Amino acid sequence: MGNIVELKQISKSFPGVKALDSVDFTLKAGEVLGLLGENGAGKSTLMKILAGVYTKDEGRIKIFGQEVEHLTPLTAQKLGIAIINQELNLCDHLTVAQNIFLGREILRRGVLHEKKMNAAARKLLEEFQIEIDPETMVGDLPVSKKQLVEIAKALSVEAKILIMDEPTSALTAKEIDNLFTIIKRLKEQGCGIVYISHRLEELQYIVDRVLILRDGKYIIDKPFKETTLSEIISYMVGREIKEKFPRVEEQVGETIFEVRNLNAGRMVRNISFSLRKGEIVGIAGLMGAGRTETTRAIFGADPKDSGQILIDGKEVEIREPRDAIKAGLVLVPEDRARDGLCTKLSVRENVALPNLDFLSSKLGLVNRKKEAEVTARAVKNFAIKLANPEVEAGSLSGGNQQKVIVSKWLARNSKVVIFDEPTRGIDVASKVEIYQIMNDLKKKGIGVLFVSSELPEILGISDRILVMADGRITKELDVKEATQDLILEYATKFEKKLASEPGAVEA
Amino acid sequence: MGNEKKQNKLKRLLAKRGMGQVITVTFGLVGLVIVFSLLNPFFLTSRNISNLLRQIAPTLLIGIGQSYVLITGNIDLSIGSVVGMSCMISATLMTKGVNPWVAVLITYLATTVIGFLNGQLIAKAKLPAFIATLGTMTIARGIAQIVNNNYNTDSIGEAARGFQQFFYYGKTFGLFNTIWITLVIWLFFDFLLSRTRTGRHLYAVGSNIHAAYLSGVNISSTITKAYLVSAFCATTVGLITTATSGMGTMDAGNGYELYAVAASVIGGVSTLGGQGILLGTVVGASIWGVLQNGLQFAGAPVAIRNIVIGIIVIITVLMDIFVRTNKKKGKG
Repeated sequence: MGNIVELKQISKSFPGVKALDSVDFTLKAGEVLGLLGENGAGKSTLMKILAGVYTKDEGRIKIFGQEVEHLTPLTAQKLGIAIINQELNLCDHLTVAQNIFLGREILRRGVLHEKKMNAAARKLLEEFQIEIDPETMVGDLPVSKKQLVEIAKALSVEAKILIMDEPTSALTAKEIDNLFTIIKRLKEQGCGIVYISHRLEELQYIVDRVLILRDGKYIIDKPFKETTLSEIISYMVGREIKEKFPRVEEQVGETIFEVRNLNAGRMVRNISFSLRKGEIVGIAGLMGAGRTETTRAIFGADPKDSGQILIDGKEVEIREPRDAIKAGLVLVPEDRARDGLCTKLSVRENVALPNLDFLSSKLGLVNRKKEAEVTARAVKNFAIKLANPEVEAGSLSGGNQQKVIVSKWLARNSKVVIFDEPTRGIDVASKVEIYQIMNDLKKKGIGVLFVSSELPEILGISDRILVMADGRITKELDVKEATQDLILEYATKFEKKLASEPGAVEA
Repeated sequence: MGNEKKQNKLKRLLAKRGMGQVITVTFGLVGLVIVFSLLNPFFLTSRNISNLLRQIAPTLLIGIGQSYVLITGNIDLSIGSVVGMSCMISATLMTKGVNPWVAVLITYLATTVIGFLNGQLIAKAKLPAFIATLGTMTIARGIAQIVNNNYNTDSIGEAARGFQQFFYYGKTFGLFNTIWITLVIWLFFDFLLSRTRTGRHLYAVGSNIHAAYLSGVNISSTITKAYLVSAFCATTVGLITTATSGMGTMDAGNGYELYAVAASVIGGVSTLGGQGILLGTVVGASIWGVLQNGLQFAGAPVAIRNIVIGIIVIITVLMDIFVRTNKKKGKG
């Protein structure tokens, strides 16, 4: 089979940055190509050019052997190209079926044929074993299910060229398995699939060939079998990363933070734990175990039903996030598009936002000098790549946006920092940077609470691990005794809901 | 050296967010002024300019209020009715013999209630701004009608001469007081918006309300502040109206909320929130005023003026959207 996509010498510049520099790219029918590179390496830009979202500055595009000069999203779609974006492009106020058929609604005598669309959507979802009712509102679905809807939507147009940008970042292990089965099936049908992911360990299950970009340049492409993960990483970063999980040992001191009998809705039930000086406590669990809900309730983002929170042994009342911030407790949130950034504001304004209390005078006048200093320090400490701090935060790449979010919370002196999935969707080198940041906090005696779905990093970074299932803490493990299997065992320890039913889930 | 410093300052001003749109519409404003001065030799006389500025002032004032609200991602439809309420309350009190300055104070307090109510309905009770302010718009107009038993007031009389001088007829350093009042209010609110914590919170709420909340911003107080500013500005316009005509009219300020939206939007304040600066509102209000004044000079009837201005608002918004989407495509 020949190349179905051929990109030659593609270049693209954005104001102040050369995003792509003479990049060559090919995709064959019936292959899964892993497109790899660090944040800002140009992967998403290249794929957006292929999908017609961006126009190239230079270079040639051939699709199915045909030279294409002007590629728009519509012509790309007609050529059979579908893209599943990192950011979800779904309408929250429409149902799953309505989203899937958005723009291609089925009509009967000029009127929407909801019944037929629902049936077609149901068939599609069943075919790919996605357990979602097509008539639910997308806004009511958790992030992982939304991701699956996005995938189903792309599949429904019967694309020949499918681009998946970080499709698994929000999925559970089971859903990922399911997705891989789907990918294999599409491959057999002769689709070409471009797969972008920072979770390198996934690649072995599906990828045939890898193509690596670095700083907007083509580095190498190679069959996956002829390479190793460490080789791939060194091509990506241009240097070797030694410690994947840098661990520092610290003397554990007194308790600085304590949660007692916290209850908040169905997903947070009777949570109690403490956090001591010089340790990182990880919260593990499956998607939907109530981890995010717990952090949000602690931080005051969602209302609590009952429970106490103590900082330095003193009870603090947290009704809203600003109470928490005042008390020295901050949260780096999970859903960065929704909760993390004001994308239309500048990087400077974003970094300053939670810190305006100490960046402005008593009368509320913002001290611009201090603000610029704090921003400059954040940009330097976190190696945020940007033209200048005045650019819109939304114009940065995903990994750099994440760094801005982390940096805005660490620009102030807090006693406890909660990280909710801080490494989701960012590259290996940036991940290690985030781990280093957590370690630095630990060394300074700041309490770190760390929620993650990736067991290797939970095991690699935390000193103590809380395992959650079904809104409860099912086990507290010391890292020395913890293993992946042990964590999974407790993460699936659901309450017996149907006592009468034999064989009800109890792992 | 001094020159270099000046240049740096200019550079910083030009680099300011939202400046691009302001510069574009300034060209439009200059173009309009040239066209009208060619059509009518009296357009650029000092007398007309002075009148023109006084005509622009109220539009700018309500534009400031509307810009504040739009920046938070909301809208205030009650502006026109608050103008009417302010006009009727102040005039009624003055005809009843209340000291004009006491009347002014009472008026501000009364309209503050409307601003506060708007903020609470939207931020606390989570009503859509459109619906909440549509409701308060009707309520405020009702109050304007009820204060003097559904009649316009008589003349506010001799005792209020000082009040009329202060808000409309008097001049200071050769410029009408109305212009000075507007300038002071503009300077104050521009400073508040661009240099203070409150201002930053307004932009953050309009840009991403979830992120702002998690960053410790008090959402309901921020939104309420925007509506209080809007009510304050509208009330001032109501007082100017009373001073101008020397009486209270129940339908004063009718339709002003839309003029306010026009001034803001033409000046680059996004109806989607989080974007825009008050310098833009000045240019927006000026375009509005120049059109009104110029078309009036050219002898166009009110109906034609309304149609022309409506079309211009739509065109500027279209241009704004066009520029924004193109910028996005180019930059990502």
